[in-house]
Amino acid sequence: MSTKHADLVLTNGRIYTVDAVEPWVEAIAIADGRILARGSATEMSELAGAATRIVDLNGHFAMPGIVDVHNHVVMGGQAELFELALPRDARLDAIIALVREAAEKAEPGQWILGAAWGADAISELDNSAALAALDAASLGHPVCLRDETAHNRWVNSEAMRLSGISETTPNPDMGSFGRDAATGKLTGMMIEAAAGIVERVASTHFTEDMGIAAAAQAIKTLNSYGVTGFLEAASMQSVMAAVHGLDQRNALSAWAVMAMPAVEPNFLFGLAGDELFALRENYRGPHVKPDFVKIFLDGVPGARTAAFHEAYLEDPIHGCCFRGKTMVTYPDLVRWLGKCEAQGLAVKIHCAGDAAVSQALDAIDVVRSFNGPTDLIHHIAHASYIHPDDYKRFAELGVAADLSPMIWYPTTFLEGHRAVMGTERAEKFWPNADLIKAGALLAGGSDWPVIPNPDPWNGIEGLVTRENPSGAFAGQALWKEQAVDVATAVAIFTINSAKAIGIEALTGSLAPGKSADIIVLDQNIFEVPANRISRTQVLTTYFEGRAVFERA
Amino acid sequence: MVEVTGKPLVPVTLVTGFLGSGKTTLLNRLLSEPALDGTVAIINEFGAIGLDHLLVEVTEERFALLDNGCVCCTVRDDLVETLKRLPERRPLTRVIIETTGLADPAPILHALMVEPELVATYRIDGVVTTVDAVNGLDTLARHTEARKQAGVADLLLLTKADIASPEAIVALHTALAGINGTAIRRAAEHGAVRMDDVLGAGAPRHLDHALASSKEAEHTCADPTCNHAGHAHHLSDIASHAFIIDEPVEWARLRQWLEHFAALKGADMLRMKGLVAIAEHPEAPLVLHGVQHIFHPPQKLAAWPSADRRTRLVFITRNIPRETIERTLKKFVGVSPAGIRSAA
Repeated sequence: MSTKHADLVLTNGRIYTVDAVEPWVEAIAIADGRILARGSATEMSELAGAATRIVDLNGHFAMPGIVDVHNHVVMGGQAELFELALPRDARLDAIIALVREAAEKAEPGQWILGAAWGADAISELDNSAALAALDAASLGHPVCLRDETAHNRWVNSEAMRLSGISETTPNPDMGSFGRDAATGKLTGMMIEAAAGIVERVASTHFTEDMGIAAAAQAIKTLNSYGVTGFLEAASMQSVMAAVHGLDQRNALSAWAVMAMPAVEPNFLFGLAGDELFALRENYRGPHVKPDFVKIFLDGVPGARTAAFHEAYLEDPIHGCCFRGKTMVTYPDLVRWLGKCEAQGLAVKIHCAGDAAVSQALDAIDVVRSFNGPTDLIHHIAHASYIHPDDYKRFAELGVAADLSPMIWYPTTFLEGHRAVMGTERAEKFWPNADLIKAGALLAGGSDWPVIPNPDPWNGIEGLVTRENPSGAFAGQALWKEQAVDVATAVAIFTINSAKAIGIEALTGSLAPGKSADIIVLDQNIFEVPANRISRTQVLTTYFEGRAVFERA
Repeated sequence: MVEVTGKPLVPVTLVTGFLGSGKTTLLNRLLSEPALDGTVAIINEFGAIGLDHLLVEVTEERFALLDNGCVCCTVRDDLVETLKRLPERRPLTRVIIETTGLADPAPILHALMVEPELVATYRIDGVVTTVDAVNGLDTLARHTEARKQAGVADLLLLTKADIASPEAIVALHTALAGINGTAIRRAAEHGAVRMDDVLGAGAPRHLDHALASSKEAEHTCADPTCNHAGHAHHLSDIASHAFIIDEPVEWARLRQWLEHFAALKGADMLRMKGLVAIAEHPEAPLVLHGVQHIFHPPQKLAAWPSADRRTRLVFITRNIPRETIERTLKKFVGVSPAGIRSAA
């Protein structure tokens, strides 16, 4: 045992290390932000010197910090800090009142951004009278309000003026401007691609300081849920600048891995691909690792934009045999993967449908066959609809299954999938146990803010129960056979995610030499009934041995 | 490439070679032949060619970086423009393009393969690379450009062979065989080469001949000075890999494999040539021709050039192990392990 004195000893705990060598210990000694040793309370007390701080865990359960394999921290922080929160059931009058309240407090010229109005409110908002009410309430500020699908926006006249949209502007490709049924005048409703026109203008008012503030807010939120490492899954230059800026201020209390989009996504703006990759070293920092690329290969099942082997149910727009399609051609995907591997970049590939998964695996197989093996772990993001023949290929190709967002239990998402592909197929969703059996690396994530908060305890409970932790859809489970045990679920959200994003040597388990990223919980998640895991509260979050969150 | 149907295409011969390797002497000699009606030479500068009755076009080296940042796609705008204008200005039966000594011939070949107006008018007749028999070995060792020029050649013309030692000539042959085992190699003394010798250097019959006559070369060999073609232990990062496939192949799978090869290894594939027996119509071969990541649209020949009806593929590559090509051919094209063999 080392003769070095610890700076901090956490003792008298029930500490789960996520390390098979020594899964449970009583105490952990920390020096210089790293784990010095682990063991019994007596052993660790021997490492304490006069200056060592001793923290009595009072028998509480502790474990490694959570690693979120897929989130969008700046968007999450932005939503918390700078967006007007609209209740999902808010109707016209309530929305107008909230906008007026925000406008009264806003600085001159400031955009008022808000989310999310319910998709079922559209007819109430999509008319001239509603726009007039919105214009009056906004007191001259530009206003842009997102719907819950994130595909559409309702904006005011000032926002349209700033975006160059007038009565004579033609509809964009793949989108349209809402018009009043009686008068034919613009209503401020921006459908699909039209939303991007306004968002692009609104985004120019988002300053670097606001980005850093959003990142700071997001990290605070993550730490409060016990998250001490993550992969940001759409790292535009502004996102990298924000996270890196926070690190430069010594305020980034989590490991941040950045995934730079190969192609500009339709909801974020700026450089992408080679031009963005070329800048990546500018944003590397002690805790920031711009070592991933993001490729969106398809869309989402609910909108019939995910690519499947079998056709969606017939509908008037797509007809009888529509299977969805991929947004990147197969040769282009192969080319991107080859190019990224040559630069030491791993690729997270968004694949919501099983055909997209097959194509991504095929492309990785091609690249590996021509270029030989690498240590890079590519990700199939949202690995949820997967052809059984593909299960074993994850392990063969060293590809990680990114489990996000946390909807591996009955949700409204699942209802949407049933509507487009029928119940039987829709429920073959998240074959987690089969993937584990086939040797795949499963890594847990949130996709926050696609879901309202990045709470991993919901995800862990859901992995075990396959039932909705909120109590919604009571009595229903989703493909119960795919449930995993608590230890596996914990590994999925710690060491597996750390391995998948390349920070396994730093974090993900409690072992000597690793960063002292430790969370103390209010309950032992191995002892409580599985359907209570989601109620877990983090008492203290340590990052590099510093308490970065403490529950009041 | 030979068009099976349509109007006859004007053959283009590319003459390349390192600085001082004798390109201009060769060109002078060729252009002094009487039967030159309709031949246009495109050179980089007026110089030693003093035959003022000849039709000579001059271009300047001007390189353009394409949007995708790929330097190997660099196409010489002025050369393309010159080639586009030529048929309007005079009757044209043949074009000879001389590159500068440091030029990478690939962009010129790319232009001939992808520019729609050029593809409709011209065909690549062959690439002739001059190599100085006295200094060539040293030049190949020192200069990447020289190795690339040798790699893309259909005909390697050893110049100054009259003043080089027999040992130097043997060593040069060995080195060139390693870099480009299927090119024709021919020695020229005092520029004594006739037009007939360089015409049609890239014709499929040469590929057919080169591979039919080659012996099995895939064996281990400890002798670094051996002159077996097909070994990788020569001085160069550039090597030729030739394969014979017994059974006809599925065109869709081969095409996809070629696409992958071009996407992942294009920068290091200097030249690819092939005569392919396609399962769908084995009675006549497809001719394949690729330069780096660009492939000429495959052409179906009217008939096989000889009785040998096996698929033959040649790759001149930089730092690509033969094993990679063979393994991926088996995996993605479905070639049976027993049905593929190496050729020199």
